[in-house]
Amino acid sequence: MAPASPMPDPLTASLKQLIVDTLRLEDTSAADIPDDEPLVGGGLSLDSIDALELVVRLEREFGIKIASSEEARQALASVAALTTYVRERGDPSRLPS
Amino acid sequence: MAETPAPIRIAACGCVTPFGDAQASHAALIRGECALRRVPVLGNDGGDPVPLALMPGRPLDETAPPGWLSSVKGLAERLPPGAWGSPGRPVFVTGSNFGVGGLYALGRTGNAAFASWGALPTCTEQLRLALGWGPDVAILSHACVSAHLGLLEATRAIEAGAADEALVLSFDFLSPFVAGGFHSLKILNSEFPAPYRERASGAIGLGDGAAFAVLARGRGDWTLEGQGVYNEMHHFTSNRADGSGFARCLEAAAGAADGRRVWFKGHGTGTLDAGRLEVAEASRAFPGSPITGWKGSLGHTLGSCGLVELAIAIESVRSGIAPGTIGGPGEPMGPSVALDNFGTRGFDGVVCASNAFGGAHAAFLLCHA
Amino acid sequence: MRLFFSAMLERHIDLLFTDDAGGESPAATRDRLKGLFPPGSTRRMTTLGLLVGAGLSRVDPGEDDALVYASGYAESCALEGFLGSFPTPSPTLFQTSIHPSAVQQSLIGRQRPIREFLPMSGSSLLAFHAVRASLLMAAPRCVLCGGEERGTWLLEHGLASGRTFAFAAALTRERTGAAIGTLGISRDGGGGALGLAPFFDLLRERKAFDGMVAPGWRLRLKWN
Repeated sequence: MAPASPMPDPLTASLKQLIVDTLRLEDTSAADIPDDEPLVGGGLSLDSIDALELVVRLEREFGIKIASSEEARQALASVAALTTYVRERGDPSRLPS
Repeated sequence: MAETPAPIRIAACGCVTPFGDAQASHAALIRGECALRRVPVLGNDGGDPVPLALMPGRPLDETAPPGWLSSVKGLAERLPPGAWGSPGRPVFVTGSNFGVGGLYALGRTGNAAFASWGALPTCTEQLRLALGWGPDVAILSHACVSAHLGLLEATRAIEAGAADEALVLSFDFLSPFVAGGFHSLKILNSEFPAPYRERASGAIGLGDGAAFAVLARGRGDWTLEGQGVYNEMHHFTSNRADGSGFARCLEAAAGAADGRRVWFKGHGTGTLDAGRLEVAEASRAFPGSPITGWKGSLGHTLGSCGLVELAIAIESVRSGIAPGTIGGPGEPMGPSVALDNFGTRGFDGVVCASNAFGGAHAAFLLCHA
Repeated sequence: MRLFFSAMLERHIDLLFTDDAGGESPAATRDRLKGLFPPGSTRRMTTLGLLVGAGLSRVDPGEDDALVYASGYAESCALEGFLGSFPTPSPTLFQTSIHPSAVQQSLIGRQRPIREFLPMSGSSLLAFHAVRASLLMAAPRCVLCGGEERGTWLLEHGLASGRTFAFAAALTRERTGAAIGTLGISRDGGGGALGLAPFFDLLRERKAFDGMVAPGWRLRLKWN
């Protein structure tokens, strides 16, 4: 797995912790998750079910609505892609400041 | 000289869908009707509207006793009389969800009246008692290939002399439990299904359904040949990208169909990747065979789909016309996909296939005896 | 026409694994067994999945083997969890709660296809039905496995098992040098029943059995 990038964005940091907590990644910390690697099929060994579990959690946390599995795939292409997606579509009052 | 046993045949078969019995369901499909309607995914608890095909008058939320019991009892009235569940006359009950609607209601309300139908064994025991069957009632539950497995086990039991005749009963009725689960997978959404058609995103519909088949030696007009199964164990919700799971399952039916002209009744739920793989492998195994699927109208009847659709396939052969693939717009995934109804008289049989979570596959060749 | 059936259907027990988790907590079971699985693969596995998977890793079903899996209540804890996740249902728990998840969890984790897989459920006749299905399989080797996991609130309603256990047995048509016993059924008069837990106890204790297990059916379990 590539070395993790620095975490200057609180939303990115929050999303990485959400990934660890939701998917019960026992041997991975938030700091270990790279910004730009694929989430599904990448070094974390996440699959499409993990992606959908993240979708449920994201919808609940940030008030977004992901309509289809194809849209989920795009939103979860990487942590960076997810950060952009949540920032654009999430309820602003629920985003970390 | 030993007597050659008479071949095993389907001595009786029937189904019930929101359209009615097998004949009524077939007729509705021929007319291009769609049983799916938009229903809040969590029933009384609301939620996104999703395409479901419920039995007329039956709400999505469960009652105690279950609202679907009358449909199964009505179906059971058409069974050949006999001491089902007694030695030599086993019953194979197949399905995926059984009474989970009651489990959901129990969890939401705490009302113990829902409990007795809530688990697989308790639901089946209640059904056994309601239908007056003996104790030899086996439960086979493997999601959407459950019915195929019931037919295979029934065939084996008769072949081995462990049964004189066997009943396979298959049922699956929707509930917020089931609809909510598929909705969480993002494949049951606001879109209506378009099986075997290319579109931007896949979508399924779900439907209520129940069916039965009686297998016996030397009685009945229909044979099951080349019963094949295969389990990819690749992923819970996706198939190997090379289509090998579909191909391996179809080998037996293809062997049985060798030299014969057949049509193909596929699984076709409306998901994209699986639909493409199924069309590709069915076209390869049965070149030139028209491919059709009916879940775009009936919805996916889950654990009962193999037997519900077998009953409709029998009607298609009997009547001389098979319904084409019903569903929303989109380019067909292959030239063999039959979008329109087609005549069945020129064919020797129909290959019926189903697929399930975990990359499970099942298929057989149905022929007129 | 009524056929006369007097033969015994029988196979040899080539390998056997049993695990009675007793009062062990799910966390303790996970700690005990997770080393048997690829790293990181157990985070979505249930207690039943871990136990059944441990058994399958020992008897190692091949692609051309048959596999019969029996569980009355199957994934009780995943069911409880899924029900508790509404109104935002968890896709992981939905998937995991569907029978026959326990077998799929380990075989998918190991990417081990199998041609013929028959998942069963039931209660007082479940052991008989599973044994009958195993003995009717065409494959020369059939793995018969099963188990239950203890439920919580579902158990209070009589909708889950009160015990956590699992077994896996490799049954062969031909006797091998490693055979440890035989398992057979035959038609007979009289009635009887054999649920999954009592059948598990017979296997675990290597106890011989000769008795009626269903109306019209006798089961014989012998140890070498």
